[in-house]
Amino acid sequence: MGGPSFTARVVWALARRSIRGSLRRPQFLAPLVIFPSMFLAVNVGGLTRTTSLPGFPAVDGFLDFQLAAAITQSLLIGGVATGIATALEIEGGFFDRLVASPIPRTALVLGRLIATAVTSAGQITYFLIIGLIFGASVKGGIAGVAVVYLIGIIAGVGFGAIGQAIALRAKSASTVQGIFPLVLVVLFASSAFFPRELLSSPVDVVAKYNPLSYISDGMRNPIIDGVGSTSVLEGVASALLVVAAAGGVAVLALRGRLRDA
Amino acid sequence: MRQSLIVVRALVRRALNEISRVPGAAIPGVLAPTIFMLGLSSVFGKASGLGGYGADFRTFIVPVGLLQGAGFTGAATGVNLARDIEQGWFDRLLLCPAPRTTLLTGVVASAGLRALLPSTFLLIVAFSIGVDVPTITGLLIAAVLVMGLACAMACFSVTLALRFRTQQAAPLMQIASFVGVLFTTSYAPKPLLTDWLRTVSDINPVTHVLEGVRQAFIGGVAWEHTWPAFLSLAGMITVLGWFAARGLRRYGV
Amino acid sequence: MAAIEVSALEREYRSGFKAVDGIDLRVEPGEVYGFLGPNGAGKTTTVRMLVTLLRPTGGRATVAGHDVATEPQKVRRKIGVALQEAALDHLMTGRELMELQATLHGIPARSVADRAQDLIGRVGLSDAQDRRVGTYSGGMRRRLDLAMALIHAPEVLFLDEPTTGLDPTSRATLWDEVRRLKADGTTVFLTTQYLEEADQLADRVGIISAGKIVAEGTPQALKDEVGRPHLDLCFVGDADLPRAREVLAGFGEVRVDTVDGVDLSVGVLEGSRAIAPVIRALDEAGIVVGRVELVEPTLDDVFAAQTGSHLEGAATPAPTAI
Repeated sequence: MGGPSFTARVVWALARRSIRGSLRRPQFLAPLVIFPSMFLAVNVGGLTRTTSLPGFPAVDGFLDFQLAAAITQSLLIGGVATGIATALEIEGGFFDRLVASPIPRTALVLGRLIATAVTSAGQITYFLIIGLIFGASVKGGIAGVAVVYLIGIIAGVGFGAIGQAIALRAKSASTVQGIFPLVLVVLFASSAFFPRELLSSPVDVVAKYNPLSYISDGMRNPIIDGVGSTSVLEGVASALLVVAAAGGVAVLALRGRLRDA
Repeated sequence: MRQSLIVVRALVRRALNEISRVPGAAIPGVLAPTIFMLGLSSVFGKASGLGGYGADFRTFIVPVGLLQGAGFTGAATGVNLARDIEQGWFDRLLLCPAPRTTLLTGVVASAGLRALLPSTFLLIVAFSIGVDVPTITGLLIAAVLVMGLACAMACFSVTLALRFRTQQAAPLMQIASFVGVLFTTSYAPKPLLTDWLRTVSDINPVTHVLEGVRQAFIGGVAWEHTWPAFLSLAGMITVLGWFAARGLRRYGV
Repeated sequence: MAAIEVSALEREYRSGFKAVDGIDLRVEPGEVYGFLGPNGAGKTTTVRMLVTLLRPTGGRATVAGHDVATEPQKVRRKIGVALQEAALDHLMTGRELMELQATLHGIPARSVADRAQDLIGRVGLSDAQDRRVGTYSGGMRRRLDLAMALIHAPEVLFLDEPTTGLDPTSRATLWDEVRRLKADGTTVFLTTQYLEEADQLADRVGIISAGKIVAEGTPQALKDEVGRPHLDLCFVGDADLPRAREVLAGFGEVRVDTVDGVDLSVGVLEGSRAIAPVIRALDEAGIVVGRVELVEPTLDDVFAAQTGSHLEGAATPAPTAI
């Protein structure tokens, strides 16, 4: 016992458990894709003519533009869901069982984050398929799809870490659920849904510094334009920034919880 | 009749108490419509440049926020009932001598009153950032329509709560209210909608309710927007109320 | 080396409340130690400190030779824990949970399935192992909880109120399991609010009240400290009480006016073996016994003697022992 192979084995066992739990509770998975799908449908259905506004980038259709927003929104909700699952585990006492086991403390966080990565890949797949079915196309081809997955999965893990950090501090599922409006606020204050040049003030200024802008732009450009190094780098860097910051906060929150217990 | 009113009032008071005693649960529901309104208008504000909106995008979207508040409140009513069922409190309520329709009226009426909370908050914010204040008539019509939609949505979510008897049905209730309010002329006037959304908004009775509220903010109150709104609302409450009453009759049978 | 050694252990919360207020105890390897006390006495807090879920704010504790504060990981490898609330994942099947637990405790992958089956069979859950835990009854969940605590053959097993809320049959099954563990040499630290449970299972009992240990010893030794068994007698008709006292004096110390409905009480060291001779002697003296009750001191008497109040788990407060 102990050592990297034991850690890997434990992390994978906990990840499998989280994935299995999600699949066995589809009513928790559904909001991850259904709510953003509804939003996507209404945005496209109601605002499709906005592509003719001066300053709107050249796109084949508003759907192509909106796909990345739907993916980003879905991944953010996934982060909230990860937090809720962690909080329920703490409330139900199973977290104590894990803490009392001789596993590395980081495994308590890593296992669920790996599950979040897998779920994120599933969410991205869903929206790409939906987009293709309703007429969108990925200009960047296979490479473009790969970029979308790369940025999306990293970002999804980062959002999951935020959810975990909140759960470890708050310990209650209803508190984690209460942050959902805040998640929307941060998303609206970005260029996820509309080009930054066409946002109203002061949101356009906030969007310039919001990592969600670069994450969603990083996933959007391969769809509407092709793989460009700048947007890819910015998207990956922003996603990694979220992971690093959120992961650090989650580890601190875990330490705090174990210390204050 | 008098006894029924007493019961209704008691149930309404209990529902309103929850707001003050569990503010953490109420706050997201109060804030969310305003966040949506501010967020959508900040993001899509330039869309009104396409023409046909009759006002700026923010003013156009305020009625959507009001109805979203009604929808969320209606959904929350069902979630609260599901919680009461799970915790056994609902069984205690059913043991009371009050007729079941009275119980249903109390639960649904509370939704109508509670819907005024997010609406009031949203209007205060909207007026403070420059949205024009409607006439008294327009405001009253809007208030009645908002309360009525909350009651209709409450009937729907109560039906789901009685059917599934678990808070896990909450996403279903919330999505239904979301779809009901947004699959209308929510973001743009009808000529600017895509074909499929135009068709859906024609069928969706909430579109008339939305236009009935919107007239207070854009264009002024007109009979041609008012009667369809109230007729649609009456229809929704009748049909959804029937389902809720039926669900209650069958509960525990 | 003691299996559990605790010295001046303390847990003080930020509010200043001391849930555990400086306790000392020692549990030898292979012993079943019963930790008895009412709700809120500090039992669960003590257990949570010993299993490294809670950090002590004072004192020291070692479990299986390792300090709980400075070597928690080493402690976790050697302990099994079944907490007050069966901490299970309701979405998983019994088998999945057992295999996960085995993995978390470093059991080699090739042995995980067999070991899980072993323990599942031992607690009688073979038929239910592929059902989700959410469908299990309370007794089944407790059994699964216990099996999970034993999957890695721990040196020290912590059971926090394991039979609370269980029906008598499930309780008896769990008791048998504890006896089996003892026979296997496992040290068991058992918290309970049930007197009979501590009496039946524990080699030694520690009684905790308001965060402090108020009594410790074998169940019999503790009970002996507060009194001896006695017979409460009620006679029929106009019995000759002075004559009855004379007869009873030959068996032990006699008391009058003990409790309502009792005419005389006599202390009997032999316990139940004394009933027949006493009745026979009274009968020969022409005194007819209407009712006789053997009253033995209980751990509740021990608790009452120390604290002035009764344990909540006691059925009825015992009559005062002689």
